[in-house]
Amino acid sequence: MENQTKNFHDKNYKLLLLIPAALLLFSFIYLINFYSINNDFIYKDISLTGGTSVTISGNIDAEKLKSDLGSKLEDLNTREISDLITQKRKAIIIETKSDSDQTRQVLEEYFGYKLTSENSSFEFTGSTLSESFYNQLLISIWVAFVLMALVVFLIFGESQLIKLYAIVPSLFIVKIAYSHIPIVNMLAIFFISLSIPFLFYLSSKKKKSYTLAIILSIASLTILIFPSLYSNFSNLSMAIISIALAVIYIYYSIPSFAVIISAFADILMTLVLVDMLGIKLSSAGIVAFLMLIGYSVDTDILLTTRMLKRSEGTLNQRIFGAFKTGITMTLTSILAVGVAWFIVKSFSTVLSQIFLILFIGLGFDIFNTWITNASILKWYAERKK
Amino acid sequence: MKLTLKIWLLIIVLAFSLLSIFGFPPKFFQEGVLITSVEANSTSFEAGLRPNQIITEIDNQKIKTLEDYSAIIHEKFPSDKNIKTNIKTDNTEAILFSKNAPKITVSEIQKTNIKKGLDIGGGSRGLVQAKDRKLSLIEVTDLVAVISNRLNVYGITDLNIRPVSDLSGNNFMLIEIAGATPDDLEELISKQGKFEAKIGNETVFVGGEKDISSVCRNDATCAGIEACSPTTTGYGCNFGFTIYLSESAAEKHAGITETLGVNSTPQGNYLSKKLDLYLDENVVDSLLISEGLKGRVTTQIKISGSGEGKTQADAYDSAEESMHKLQTVLITGSLPYKLEIVKLDTISPLLGKEFIRSIFLAGFVSLLAVAIIIFFRYKKFKSSMALLITCISEIIIILGIASFIDWNLDLPSIAGILATIGTGIDQQIIILDEAKQKTAMSLKQRLKRAFAIILGAYFTALVSLLPLMSAGAGLLKGFAITTIIGITAGVLITRPAFADMVKKIEE
Repeated sequence: MENQTKNFHDKNYKLLLLIPAALLLFSFIYLINFYSINNDFIYKDISLTGGTSVTISGNIDAEKLKSDLGSKLEDLNTREISDLITQKRKAIIIETKSDSDQTRQVLEEYFGYKLTSENSSFEFTGSTLSESFYNQLLISIWVAFVLMALVVFLIFGESQLIKLYAIVPSLFIVKIAYSHIPIVNMLAIFFISLSIPFLFYLSSKKKKSYTLAIILSIASLTILIFPSLYSNFSNLSMAIISIALAVIYIYYSIPSFAVIISAFADILMTLVLVDMLGIKLSSAGIVAFLMLIGYSVDTDILLTTRMLKRSEGTLNQRIFGAFKTGITMTLTSILAVGVAWFIVKSFSTVLSQIFLILFIGLGFDIFNTWITNASILKWYAERKK
Repeated sequence: MKLTLKIWLLIIVLAFSLLSIFGFPPKFFQEGVLITSVEANSTSFEAGLRPNQIITEIDNQKIKTLEDYSAIIHEKFPSDKNIKTNIKTDNTEAILFSKNAPKITVSEIQKTNIKKGLDIGGGSRGLVQAKDRKLSLIEVTDLVAVISNRLNVYGITDLNIRPVSDLSGNNFMLIEIAGATPDDLEELISKQGKFEAKIGNETVFVGGEKDISSVCRNDATCAGIEACSPTTTGYGCNFGFTIYLSESAAEKHAGITETLGVNSTPQGNYLSKKLDLYLDENVVDSLLISEGLKGRVTTQIKISGSGEGKTQADAYDSAEESMHKLQTVLITGSLPYKLEIVKLDTISPLLGKEFIRSIFLAGFVSLLAVAIIIFFRYKKFKSSMALLITCISEIIIILGIASFIDWNLDLPSIAGILATIGTGIDQQIIILDEAKQKTAMSLKQRLKRAFAIILGAYFTALVSLLPLMSAGAGLLKGFAITTIIGITAGVLITRPAFADMVKKIEE
């Protein structure tokens, strides 16, 4: 049985890569289309658009309230919270884009009693705050991803010099994203300046890299001295640097790139499915994507280490060994978040969204680790032989 | 079985964590309700009640839960005349005479030192910015000082207020109040509090200590509700209190009144213009100035105003509240800009308990599900048990460290703990599988290789969490903090101990 799968895998692993490639392409097209319709990559809930969320305890009919007040409160949505075991209605969650004063007034009129902190919870987020909140979360994910990619490259990359070439631009991304936080800004500048002499030292033996080192240092110094060069184009600058980094990773370390692309595919495919299901993301939901980076890289690192840094057994045996470990890891995680999602689903929007996204993401992670990443690595290892 | 150093380390850290969670001696068995705040200068305060005391009895009835407390208080108050209440706490006995319920807030005794975040334990949180203007960190620090003074004067003492900033360089003032939310919180934190007293177009004095040397309050001889009477829509009550002007403000007052003419009315002779009181550019009241004050340097001025309501009691409360607010603003002064509340959450503690129950249930069932897979996959009782024990110790360590550093566990923090447990189990599986591998290497070497993978995973997770620390004014910091605590404790303490356990079991 094991033998047969291996043979099948040996013959077809390159072909298998077509599936993730097609899925990735589809995801891109879907997202571009989605963006052109909705002017954003996700549906946002009120924690990201601004508005009020009210929880009122008691046995209240959500549907009726929605139809009664739909005209008075902007973008009204209601949901019931019920006991997990008895299924009895416990409370109602009302979400609207109206502000908290207006919402309170309308609801108090409707229920005929005063809403106090004893019987209700109000959560109001202003639209300016939520907009900047959203942008910051996106930048956090971006930076997190860049740093994760860097660590992967530092683990699996081969030459010390090239690693430095990756550290400097990554630090620049941190510096640009965090230029408003003095400590991070200073630290980034400090480490960038520290890396430059090393860059020269390591590249002094090779002529070609030496020229590169000079170019990189001049570029770094110019950016450091004239921050106004990028400050108006911070997103654009970050994008350009990120692309440059991706090129470095592809060019110098296919295994690192395989890990990075699998993690990227996990996030992208999860995002597409979340959009397809019409889920409105909250700030916590976006954090779940961040958690996904951590979870998905685990198995990729395991696979890459077993395949490339070990020598016992055949390549296929090592892949299969890694698969046995990795699939146990992912299945336990999937089961755990699945069960947790089922239990908290009626209770906490925050947690249930996190669990649901992890559940979806881990599912894609099985696919991306064992098809995308494994095939690229196998290709790489075979070619290297 | 002799335990290794690493396992001992785990046991010691666990012991410390438990100590930090439950305290010493453990607070498990205490009964009563905890006083969380006492309004300054209230009768309760004078009778000797203080925050952190534990109420055990009221009028010789045992108080075990919050329900017991509120049942007794609701039965007695409000009453028409002063009635006696005998409150016994763990270290005092207070006897109060009052018409209204004691002005204290109480909560259940915390059985552990774990601090619940606002979104679970209940409370309110406000994030405030200047309107149409970016505040510098120094300005926000000043703002924090003014507002916390304002809240203190108003009687809210149990609060956490501090400047926070976000990735885009915006500075905010963050206010967190645990427990019940004061009704007028929104007004207290969002109002500029610009008090002006004008005669015609000329400002005589403004709120704050420069012009006003003192304000009479909580003293029935110079502050209080004066008269209530029916109006067309219900009732109205008037309040009045005395303030003392500084020398310079008093002289200004004299200078302006000097130039005014005198009108004679049937009620008496008054100056031709009134003293108008403005709060945030709205007229609060207009006072007639008696002839005798013309051109005189007077430091003592009586401020008055009114409150309305459907019933007399409502009107009384409303007048009292307005008076209180006006006094607060007069003492604390105004802010140089208008404020905008960009986020305001008031969370009822009502669903919190259920919530914790469902989280515990979710955690327990998830762990059970994991246990089943692990038993099924490894078919070894000892190693599977070791895995689960390590997992649970990790939760205890995170909670221990969180209570040690006084971290408030909010929803994002709980999500962080769950994330940590997930990665923890993953890494333990790696250790188990690497230990099982059939190679010529020694077990020690095999475990070392497992740690190479684990460290790689640790650093990728760590760097991907760092950006979250400061995003969104730190509202999601809890997630990053608990996860970083968890994975770091994992790599330093629990994982090495687990590897040693596996070693022991395999040998």
